[in-house]
Amino acid sequence: MNLILFIFIVLLGFTSYYFGRKKAYTIQSTKKRLTALPQFYGYYLAIWCAIPAFIIFSLWAIFEPTIVKLLILSDYSNQGYLDDELNLIYEKTKALSRGQFTGEITPFIDASAEKYLSLRSIAQSSKVVIVLSAIIASVAYAYKRISSNSRTREPVEKFLNAVLFTASLAAILTTVGIVFSLIFQTIDFFKVIPLFDFVFGTHWYPAKAFVRDSSEALDPTMYSDTFGAVPIFAGTFFIAFIAMCVAIPIGLMSGIYLAEYASAKVRQYAKPLIEILAGIPTVVYGFFAALTVGPFLKELGTSMGLEVSAESALAAGGVMGIMIIPFISSLSDDVITSVPQSLRDGSYAMGATKSETIKRVIFPAALPGIVGSILLGVSRAIGETMIVVMASGLAANLTLNPLESTSTITAQIVVILIGDQAFGDPKTQAAFALGMSLFLVTLCLNIVALRVVKKYREKYE
Amino acid sequence: MIKIKAKDVDVFYGKKQALFNISLDIEENQVTALIGPSGCGKSTFLRCLNRMNDVIDICSVKGEILINDFNINDKSCDVVRLREKIGMVFQKPNPFPKTLYENVSYGPTIHGMAQSKQEMDEIVETSLKKAALWEEVKDRLHEPGTGLSGGQQQRLCIARAISVRPEVILMDEPCSALDPIATAQIEELIDELKKEHTIIIVTHSMAQAARVSQNTGFFHLGQLIEHGSTDKIFKNPDNKKTQDYITGRFG
Repeated sequence: MNLILFIFIVLLGFTSYYFGRKKAYTIQSTKKRLTALPQFYGYYLAIWCAIPAFIIFSLWAIFEPTIVKLLILSDYSNQGYLDDELNLIYEKTKALSRGQFTGEITPFIDASAEKYLSLRSIAQSSKVVIVLSAIIASVAYAYKRISSNSRTREPVEKFLNAVLFTASLAAILTTVGIVFSLIFQTIDFFKVIPLFDFVFGTHWYPAKAFVRDSSEALDPTMYSDTFGAVPIFAGTFFIAFIAMCVAIPIGLMSGIYLAEYASAKVRQYAKPLIEILAGIPTVVYGFFAALTVGPFLKELGTSMGLEVSAESALAAGGVMGIMIIPFISSLSDDVITSVPQSLRDGSYAMGATKSETIKRVIFPAALPGIVGSILLGVSRAIGETMIVVMASGLAANLTLNPLESTSTITAQIVVILIGDQAFGDPKTQAAFALGMSLFLVTLCLNIVALRVVKKYREKYE
Repeated sequence: MIKIKAKDVDVFYGKKQALFNISLDIEENQVTALIGPSGCGKSTFLRCLNRMNDVIDICSVKGEILINDFNINDKSCDVVRLREKIGMVFQKPNPFPKTLYENVSYGPTIHGMAQSKQEMDEIVETSLKKAALWEEVKDRLHEPGTGLSGGQQQRLCIARAISVRPEVILMDEPCSALDPIATAQIEELIDELKKEHTIIIVTHSMAQAARVSQNTGFFHLGQLIEHGSTDKIFKNPDNKKTQDYITGRFG
């Protein structure tokens, strides 16, 4: 019903656009000069259609449930029910009206459900009537008002401005919301687990928290030595480091090749091919690492007399590096290509060879962008989840041996949140604490990246 | 004395021919101006002289260009050595995004011309002095070259070009992005530089050609219409087209 109404309103919007434009053409045909193009008259009317519809819909969404609830529960007033009981009755009523009620049906609730349904249908039809009449009234009012010298362009521009502003506001508010939910859960977590234990503890064993029976009282001492995040932070940075060791040299060199050496034809085919790497889902990289690279490294290691775990940091980091190559290669290619040709000419004219020109002129000029692309790669490496979960194991070992398995922040969040979770449990909140620390790390990285880029900008521009 | 001798030079961009049969002699230690309307091929010709056209994939050059009686289009020609001998200054100042010092020491570094830091300091100082920039920048040699004004940047580019003591300096409309005062400074500089270098300058300004050059070549539609002493070209040209262009009747 709502969908049909919505489509109808959209059609009304188009119609008002059409009428607005038509009126403008009519005015124009009397040789009067318009203050704006005819389209603006159309948009103006369409806005007069959209705004009342939007306002009424929003008000309805806010007030309808409250009013319906009040009306239903008014039957039960003065009968000595507590607030909680009233809420329960209301929920039962709603469930019954949807046919999802499984308990015992009392005549009272049955009557309420009937009333609920009839109220809803009254509300629905009055909404249709009110919305449509409001739209028609406002469009008609605006239609009568527009004339050759009415201002239509400014309101249309303002409306667009407002729409765009709302869109960006939505993005910002979502971010703020996520950060706040992280913060509150994190604070709750640190009420149970001391911050010091989390930041400096070297033993991460959240499985211990699984054992607790939820009916038992929360005893903080049982969590000592459970949530020490050092091993997983170390693992995160270690795997990211391995990944960057693979991605930076290969990515940069292929970027330089594409930008400076490759002929137009090679570039035309090679660049999209490299970018395909970026389109492979990480889960595919994950099983590539777990099923191909990991066992291969294990065999290779065994043949050389080394002990290699099948799930090793090296396998995960190496494959992650391959995943990041296209980011660095493609971005640095763009940055290098955007270095002005005049600089290359200047260097060649001095008798510099291609490699000298790249090393001494182009690379320094492109450095801010290249550093930016590398830092982007680092934040991807730190935030990457799937490959680590599949290829590096879930045990948080504190080790710097790339041949052993280790774990990362993201992988631990997965471990914690898979399966049943209880809200308010330190185990679940640990995921928020980890998410918060991950967020802080990437935030710092981004700030550093911006600083670095800005510093070089000042130096080179 | 003849420094550069071009014989029947043809240049193609892909299939399109940009220069037809250019033969031109350039005198040593004089300023030769190349004039002509836009797109007539004068910059293309200039870029032949230090093989900068190599950089453009689709460009091919035919014919002989003899510099000190050596054909630079020959396979045995080492482009790095050639460009060491033939410096170039571009239309838009293009200092590298490095410090002033690094800009000037760029050429000497890649050609291994200085054995010590002291020697390099000397080269940088002399080059900047010759480019009449030393007094203005001696206290900020380690600031970025891109921070200078347009005219200073162009003089920095000249200093960069002369740092390797080239025999010839090619200038491709060096003043077109500069104001009249900076232009006057560069022109004065050109006059000074011709004592030690052979200079070829492409310019759109007839007045500039008349002021700075001893010889002039007039290009039109890829052909060298006329060349000779600047005096003669400006006062008594043989060709009608030259006359029309110089008096401003077309172009």
